[in-house]
Amino acid sequence: MDALHYDPMAMDGEPEQPQVKISAADSTRVDFELSRTNLPFANALRRIIQAEVPTIAIDLVEIEVNSSVLADEFIAHRLGLIPLDSKGVNELNYSRDCDCEQYCEQCSVSLTLHAKCTSDEIMKVYARDLVADGRHANSVGTPIITDPEGLGCLIAKLRKDQELKITCIAKKGIAKEHAKWMPTSAVGFEYDPHNKLHHLDMWFENNTDPEKEWPKSKYAQWEEPLQEGEPFDYDAVPNRFYFEVEASGTMEPDLIIQGGIRVLQQKIGGLLKGLDPRKYGGDDADMDGPRSPDMNMDGGTTPWQDGGYTTPYGNNTAYGGGNTAYGGGPYSQGSSWQ
Amino acid sequence: MAPSATSTEWDHQFHTLRRQDLFRNPPTDHSAYPALQLAVNPHIESFNAIFRGDGKPGLLAHGLADIGTKVFLDGNDRAGPEGKNRLQIRIKEVTLQKPQVPPSNKLALNREIFPAECRERHATYRGKLSATFEYSINGGDVVEFTRELGQVPIMIKSNRCHLENNSPALLVSRKEESEELGGYFIVNGNEKIIRLLQVNKRNFPMAINRPSFTNRGAGYTTYGIILRSVRPDETSQTNVLHYLKDGNVTFRFSWRKNEYLIPVIMILKALVETNDREIFEGLIGPMGSKAAQNTFLTDRVELLLRTYKAYRLYSKSETRAYLGQKFRVVLGVPETMSDYEVGTEFLRKIVCVHLGNVDVTEKQDLDKFHMVLFMIRKLYALAAGECAVDNPDAIQNQEILLGGFLYSQILKERLDEFLSVSVRTAIRDYLRRHPAVSFTSEEFRKEFPGGIFRKSNENIANGLEYFLSTGNLVSASGLDLQQTAGFTVVAEKLNFLRFISHFRMVHRGAFFAQLKTTAVRKLLPESWGFMCPVHTPDGSPCGLLNHMTHKCKIMTDYVDVSNIPALVAELGAVETSSASTDESVVVMLDGKIIGWSTPKESLRIGDCLRYWKVEGSHNVPLQLEVGYVPPSNGGSYPGLYLTSTPSRMVRPVKYLPLQKEDYVGPHEQPYMSIAVVPQEIESGVSTHVEFDPTNMLSILANMTPFSDFNQSPRNMYQCQMGKQTMGTPGTAIRHRTDNKSYRIQTGQTPIVRAPLHNTYGFDNFPNGMNAVVAVISYTGYDMDDAMIINKSAHERGFGHGTVYKTKKITLKDDSRTRAAKSVVKMFGFAPHSYVSAAYQGMLDDDGLPHVGRMVKEDDVLCAWHTVTPDYNGNLVNLDGITHYEKYKDSEIGFIEEVRLIGAESGSEPLQTISIKIRIPRSPVIGDKFSSRHGQKGVLSQKWPMSLAGKAGALHGLAQDSTPFRFDEENTAADYFGHQLMKAGFNYHGNEPMYSGITGEELGADIYIGVVYYQRLRHMVNDKYQVRTTGPVVPTTGQPIKGRKRGGGIRVGEMERDALLAHGTAFLLQDRLLNCSDYTRSWICRRCGSFLSVQPTVSQFAPGKKKAPSMVRCRNCAVRLDDSEGIDLTEIQGEIWEDGQGNCWVGGDQTTQVVVPGALKFLDVELAAMGVKLKYRIDRTDEPRKGPMKPLKQISAAA
Repeated sequence: MDALHYDPMAMDGEPEQPQVKISAADSTRVDFELSRTNLPFANALRRIIQAEVPTIAIDLVEIEVNSSVLADEFIAHRLGLIPLDSKGVNELNYSRDCDCEQYCEQCSVSLTLHAKCTSDEIMKVYARDLVADGRHANSVGTPIITDPEGLGCLIAKLRKDQELKITCIAKKGIAKEHAKWMPTSAVGFEYDPHNKLHHLDMWFENNTDPEKEWPKSKYAQWEEPLQEGEPFDYDAVPNRFYFEVEASGTMEPDLIIQGGIRVLQQKIGGLLKGLDPRKYGGDDADMDGPRSPDMNMDGGTTPWQDGGYTTPYGNNTAYGGGNTAYGGGPYSQGSSWQ
Repeated sequence: MAPSATSTEWDHQFHTLRRQDLFRNPPTDHSAYPALQLAVNPHIESFNAIFRGDGKPGLLAHGLADIGTKVFLDGNDRAGPEGKNRLQIRIKEVTLQKPQVPPSNKLALNREIFPAECRERHATYRGKLSATFEYSINGGDVVEFTRELGQVPIMIKSNRCHLENNSPALLVSRKEESEELGGYFIVNGNEKIIRLLQVNKRNFPMAINRPSFTNRGAGYTTYGIILRSVRPDETSQTNVLHYLKDGNVTFRFSWRKNEYLIPVIMILKALVETNDREIFEGLIGPMGSKAAQNTFLTDRVELLLRTYKAYRLYSKSETRAYLGQKFRVVLGVPETMSDYEVGTEFLRKIVCVHLGNVDVTEKQDLDKFHMVLFMIRKLYALAAGECAVDNPDAIQNQEILLGGFLYSQILKERLDEFLSVSVRTAIRDYLRRHPAVSFTSEEFRKEFPGGIFRKSNENIANGLEYFLSTGNLVSASGLDLQQTAGFTVVAEKLNFLRFISHFRMVHRGAFFAQLKTTAVRKLLPESWGFMCPVHTPDGSPCGLLNHMTHKCKIMTDYVDVSNIPALVAELGAVETSSASTDESVVVMLDGKIIGWSTPKESLRIGDCLRYWKVEGSHNVPLQLEVGYVPPSNGGSYPGLYLTSTPSRMVRPVKYLPLQKEDYVGPHEQPYMSIAVVPQEIESGVSTHVEFDPTNMLSILANMTPFSDFNQSPRNMYQCQMGKQTMGTPGTAIRHRTDNKSYRIQTGQTPIVRAPLHNTYGFDNFPNGMNAVVAVISYTGYDMDDAMIINKSAHERGFGHGTVYKTKKITLKDDSRTRAAKSVVKMFGFAPHSYVSAAYQGMLDDDGLPHVGRMVKEDDVLCAWHTVTPDYNGNLVNLDGITHYEKYKDSEIGFIEEVRLIGAESGSEPLQTISIKIRIPRSPVIGDKFSSRHGQKGVLSQKWPMSLAGKAGALHGLAQDSTPFRFDEENTAADYFGHQLMKAGFNYHGNEPMYSGITGEELGADIYIGVVYYQRLRHMVNDKYQVRTTGPVVPTTGQPIKGRKRGGGIRVGEMERDALLAHGTAFLLQDRLLNCSDYTRSWICRRCGSFLSVQPTVSQFAPGKKKAPSMVRCRNCAVRLDDSEGIDLTEIQGEIWEDGQGNCWVGGDQTTQVVVPGALKFLDVELAAMGVKLKYRIDRTDEPRKGPMKPLKQISAAA
């Protein structure tokens, strides 16, 4: 095994532990093979690194002056999509969990932008013009700039005497809420390059060569092709998964994967806690167990107490008053079955 | 700088840098997209023809000649013309100025008014119209004077517009698009265009078989010949010949919307000095010709001549005098004219006006004579079944009525009306008031032009503005048109495709829209190359509203044909003719017979002329139409019909003998052999070949990629949807104030496009986005016609659109009375008035909103107060009340722009503002999208499509999507399949995909590709309609109609049937009663009437509020006053009182029931007609009094 082969569990003599083999890595992407695990686990990891690893992005925009040609909400949307350094994002709280009123330095980074064009030339406002408040020890929340000129993304263009004065509040969040919090730009995911499991159809026309019409993936060389006369193994399950993680720049790929594993652990932990609070402990230990939610959001009567006549919108009928021609409430009063 | 001229050559590539340069530095020489201007040119050129700049007389000058001189007499109205003074007056010249600030404005430095200003001010782009009049009294000295006739709307980019021939750079500096096309008018800030209309081909006698012809009178058959004769000023007069059962022929025409019928021989005899033999030979041919043996013909001509004997009119002068006597009143000619002169005037104005309309010479009368003879000949041929009818719905027999020409016709009629009605009444009024004054007196001379003219309604211009803004034609003559409304449409700039389509649109006429038959809507083969077979809406205007192909041109001027008659004569045309088309066929130039020849020779003449015109020799113009109709057995009437007139369509094709461009017209095309592609050319048969098969498609239809691979209706749908797309209406949106305009924020250029996409500059106005599309059914949200958008794409701005709404707030009354002109209101807060804090924050100190502010429903948009002038003339507020205008939409918007609109005079305080509100619209579930192939669908879920998409342009190429480029051997699928293979993808574009939920590979291969998607303007936010309770109609209690007012959607009979069939009775009751006109009403059980019950009034009740709700039946009650004979002790029951103080007893068997409100309404209505309704109420429903008893007992008691 080469040096890249990372297998901390190997010493325990448990070969069934997942294995990772990294084939290429740099600051923005990593290609690796995840093996000795099953499809649900690999897919869970993929989904989480795409959508649930927290990063930081501009979420609130206070516009003081905007005399550019772009509309306020348009600039706000553009600002939201600017990648910000999310390395130290774990030190921040989610704004909704924070003790503060709206936002504070524990849960946000504020960035200011003030640009005014004074020359006849068109002025371009870039991400580098966003100034972080600097109240945080690490570089969290500073715009990511990777281009050789050191400019970052273009935000707007200003003509003479046009001005932008903006304060942005960047918050921690996940991509499930909004795509601006995505740590990755794309995650490649593949298994079974030779289609040994027959998960794919790989349709081709009768008179053509499927080998020509269906180009092989590069991972085809990593696995043994189907041997001549080899019987189809209908019990086989995929166990080697090829990931190609492309980072959006806010975090390095290893941090994304590690963050993803942590989120996955927390989710499993939360699930276990919910299923068996006595064993795993937690706040809800005294809860009676699962139940369906109350119909009335205000925690009032439960739906089974009023004979099913309460709608989530209250008990008024469309024609008002709750009184019908036949008496009081619908079939409730004045009749003999009570 | 002297750079090379702007290139106008385009191919299908992206040309990103070239386009960027065009945007940053608009060309100073000419547009880079000349094809766009060509598409609109027919409109502009037709307007330019009204007042020409090249020295030739314009249309209006011709019109003035036709109007001629009017003669008025002084003295007593009732007395004869003898001894009276004559006033002769005519309009010498009419001029139209470019739009300018009126002289009443002393403040403006730049006096020119540009179109952008009119758009922003919601004003009309118009120029001053003035006329020079010339009059003389008793034929004495001619006096000239000039009057202003008001301001008429001016077409943008016409020769009366400041934007004519402006370079793109100049246009941009004048706040226009760099590719401003013109061709429309600006009326009250709206862009209006005059629709192109299909009308009958001019100066061509059409054979018609129309059942309604028999309604003209006894003996009339369905056969007729229609000649739409057009004067040099483009007004037309239709002449019809009717065939009667006995073989007689009558001449029919309409004058001022009335129809007149004249024996055709009378017309012939009035035109020239002739005799029966000449007419006979003119119709049949010289003695001994083949036609003379045709007894069908000779019998009828004989009868024609014989029956005319009854009139006893023989000479030309007798006939003309007779006609003059009959039509003196109809034509409204001056009394001084003799009957003979009136007869001449009649022939000038009505008969074959295209052959001589002003100062008609004898030669012209002879031409008219020959023309009428030819028409009779054709009519007899039609009646004998020798020739077929001409289809008036085929484009072969049609031309296009251009907007500018129609505009000039209206202007001419207004001027005529002005002179012959307004001025006449003004003079008559003056003479009545001053009976002693004669035309020769000094007093009249002083008064005439000034004083008397002022009395007449000089405002001719208002009528034109009315015409353009409403599209209604107010006309005494009807202008020989079949409709009076719907002439103009708003040129909506929803997106550029829609805008450009308006100019290529041709309407068949509003009259045909009501027709039950669908024959007029047919797509006829004659339309090939002129009307797009694809681009017509589906639904009610289908086939009536067509669009011209992108290469189709409309001629707007006569081409020079002065040499043609001589050439034709040289080629062997002769003057003598025979009625038999085997012997001689006509050679006609613009409705004038220039000779006759044998059928064989006419083909040779036609071929010669064609060769010469393409070659450019012998002074034969290229655009001359050589309509050779070959002789056939019962087909169209043969002949060689040469046409040089304006208003006809032409299109370029390649002439094979010379391999050069030729122009063909719709009249000649059916008899030509034009190969579509070079492979189709048949040696010895084909004379022409199309330059490109796509020439038969309109601009829009050409934009559909690979339209030849689509199911045919899909192409039609795409033409519709392309016009409904949220696109980019323009680059000068800042200078526009459309009521509502849509804009897509993330527009892209399509990867797959035709070269015409660049030729027409559609990249200046992007219309959609290239989307990576997977075709799959997987999640359950994939219902019919629905789609799912990637959540991340949506959040990054895919399909994000904006709606701009402009609201004009004016403090002035719209009524044009003089009283409303004074200033009574002003913007701003009333001084010292109470202003709530909430409102103060919304508005600036001047009472107007901040730009950029967010507005919600019921937020205020501006403040105003009333003012009155004080003794100094200063306007002051007295009541101290501030009024507000509110934002009434339920959607959140942002103030984009606030415009302060000053008065034209520049001397009024601010009275009008216009506020543009921006409403962001990101795609939501229910919004409509479509590809460019008529595949529309609604968004059904925003879905995180997590799997890798296909790179949009794998090779970074623009793909040429011109249709008809591939064939069976060389298929498109193969071409693009190999491109895909080169890029390492599956040949068919299929790819393995993985379930986003489980990560498992999906069994099916899923097609993924890049599709250009359009977001349509139909958005749920404008459509959703929900209500449970709300406003109702007061009479019935049922919900009102209309989404805007919170009304309901009707559950109609079919919906009711569906609910019944489903057995959902409770739902049905909910829809039809509870949510509709649920009413609780009192009714009397005894008499079963709703109408006899009334609430009682207790005299002891303390107040109105506490009155007991007791309802009694007045019908069943007994009035105590009337019942004196009744023993009071025997009366049972309570005594009650009505409102008038009468006491009643009984009538207490009332109860409440639930009924539909409409039922009570019906009861009342029927009662008004004396019909009583009685309702039976089931006794078992009787309210229980006291404790519960067995049912039997109750019934026994009752």
